[in-house]
Amino acid sequence: MAYSVLILDDDSDFNSLLTDIFEQADYTVTPMEDPVEAVVVFRDNHFDLVVTDHKMPRMSGAEYMKVIKQIKPEVPVIMVSGYLENDTIRELISDGVGGVFLKPLNIFSLLERTAELIVEAKKYQDNGGERALLNAGAKQSTLKFPFRSFPCKASASIRFAERLYALRNFKSTLSLVGPNGANYRAICDDIRSFDASSTESFIYLSPESFDESHAISAILNAQKANADQVTCVVLGVESLSLSQKKLAAQLARCEGVFDNGDLVLRTIFCVSGDLDELFDEGRIDESLYILMGTAEIKVPSLNECSHDVPVLAQQLLLSISAEQGREVVPELSQSAAEMLLSYDLERDYDQLHSAIQSIVVAGAKAELSADVLRGALENACSMSPHAALVAFLEAQRVDYAKAVYALNQGDLAKTADFLRADTKTLEEIVKQA
Amino acid sequence: MQQHRALILRGNRFLGSSLVDKGLLTMNDLESANEKFMGAIQQGDMKHASILTSLIYDLKVLDENKLIDYIVEEYELGLIDLSFIELKSLRPMEVNIDLCWATSTVPFDKIEDTYMMATCYYMSAPVIKYWEEALDGKVIWYATSCQSFTRALEKITDIHDAEDAAEEDED
Repeated sequence: MAYSVLILDDDSDFNSLLTDIFEQADYTVTPMEDPVEAVVVFRDNHFDLVVTDHKMPRMSGAEYMKVIKQIKPEVPVIMVSGYLENDTIRELISDGVGGVFLKPLNIFSLLERTAELIVEAKKYQDNGGERALLNAGAKQSTLKFPFRSFPCKASASIRFAERLYALRNFKSTLSLVGPNGANYRAICDDIRSFDASSTESFIYLSPESFDESHAISAILNAQKANADQVTCVVLGVESLSLSQKKLAAQLARCEGVFDNGDLVLRTIFCVSGDLDELFDEGRIDESLYILMGTAEIKVPSLNECSHDVPVLAQQLLLSISAEQGREVVPELSQSAAEMLLSYDLERDYDQLHSAIQSIVVAGAKAELSADVLRGALENACSMSPHAALVAFLEAQRVDYAKAVYALNQGDLAKTADFLRADTKTLEEIVKQA
Repeated sequence: MQQHRALILRGNRFLGSSLVDKGLLTMNDLESANEKFMGAIQQGDMKHASILTSLIYDLKVLDENKLIDYIVEEYELGLIDLSFIELKSLRPMEVNIDLCWATSTVPFDKIEDTYMMATCYYMSAPVIKYWEEALDGKVIWYATSCQSFTRALEKITDIHDAEDAAEEDED
C-alpha cells in the first residue's frame, strides 16, 4: 500500500512540483494551499508524513506543525523553505520537525529523508510510541511553557526549567550559576520566550566586549527600538576585570551611568563555577556576591541530565547540518546514544557542540557510530592553548598581586607602580584576598 | 570583626536565599535588605550588618514569630529564651564573642564535650557548618529570637568587661 503524504504550500506552482515528485515516487499525495484548511484535512484523514512550506499567509509552517503535532504527534513533518533563521531552525527542531530542506531542493535527499522518517515512525508506533533509542529511562516532559535549552528528559532539567519559569518576572537581578561550557545564551533565550508578547530587549555583554560605552549604546539602541524593558545578560562574570565587575554591579543597581529613569533595566549574571569558591579566590567581589544572591539558580550540568544528552546531540546534528547546508543529516546510532548516556562531558554543552560540529563539518555518514562520536568528544574536551593560558593567568591574578604586595612589605604605592595598576584597584584586590 | 567579613557575607547571603526559597520572603524585600546590609558592610559596621534584623526591624517585612514557628516545625528545633538562662563568660569555652556577633549565634552552655548553641541563623547553612566544624560536631541547636540573642551577648560582654576589670585590679 502506498504511503500517504500531505503537501502544504501556498505557492501553487511549487505545490504542483512537489506533488509530481512524490506521486512519481509512488506516494499518495494530498496537496493543500491553505494551512487552516490543511489542519482540518489532517485531523480527518490518515497521513504518514507532512511536507510543509514555512512562509504562508494566515499561519506559518512552524505554527501549522505545532497544531498538527498536538493532534497526531507521531506523524513526521518535513519543513521546506526558501530561507530560515537559525533561531527558527532551533525552534522547529525543538518542536519535533523531522527534516528541514532549503530551496532549491535536492529532490533525492528529500525523498530519502521522507522514506527514513516514515520507517522510523512505523518503528516508533510498533514500540508503543516510545523511541527506545533516545527515550529509555527518560522522563516525559510535562512543561506547560516553551523551553528549548534542555530537552527536559531528566528530572534535573525539568526542575531547572520549572524554577526558571517561576523566577521569570524577577525584578532586577537573576544569577545563573552552572558548569563551564553551559549554554547560557540558550537559557536566556528561553527566559525571553516565556513572555513572547513583551517588547523586551536582551543585550549580551561578555568579558571581551563589556565596557561602559558599549553597554550604554546597546541600551540606547534598544530604547530607540521601542523596547519597554531591557535585560542585560552579563556572560562569564568570573572572568570580568575589576573595572568590569564594578560596572556590572552599577548596572544591576541601575546606578551611575545606568541610572535611566525611563527604562526598566534588569540584569542576568551568568557564572561558571562554584560561586563560593570564586568569592574565596577573590574573583567575585563582595558587592556582586551579595547582589547575585537575591535570585540564584543552579544550572544543571549535562552530566546530571544524562537522558537529555542523546536528544540534544540529535538536535545539534540537525541544526548544524542545516547551517552547513548538508544534505544528509546524520542519525545517532543506538550505540552512540547509549554511550552518551554515561559519557562524562567535562566542558558540558560546549564540548558536545564542538564535537558534533566537527563531525558534521568533516562530512559524517548517515549513521553516527559510538566510536566516531567518542573520538570527536575527546578532541573537543581539551581547551585551546590560548584559552587555557588565559584561564590559568586569571586564576592566579589575586595570588600574584598578593605576592608582589608582600614582597613590597605592604607598600601599596610601590606595588601599584610595579603592577601598573591604580592604588584603589590594588587595595580592593588585596582586601578581597 | 573584619576578619569575619567573609563569614558574615556568606551567612547573610545564604539566609536571604533560604528565606526566599522557603517562601517566607519576596525577592523584592530581599533586595532592599541586601542594600541595607551592603551599606553597613561598606561602612565597616559589621556588628549591625544583618539582613535578618533589617527585615524584622527596619523594613518590617518579616514576622519573627512566624519565622521561629517555621524553624521549630520544619527542623524540629528547640526554642530558647536566653533571658532565662544564667549566662557565663565565653572564655572558658574558647569562643570569640566577635564570631557570635558575626553569626548571630552563641553557645550558652557546655555539658561535658557538647555545646548548647542558640542561633537566629539556623536557616543559613554556612553558619551552622562553621560552628559544627569549629566545635567538632558536638552541638545541640536551639532557635532564639534576635532580641533574646542581642540581650544575651550584651550581658556576656558585661561579664567579659567585669573579668577584664578584675584582672587589672589583680595586676
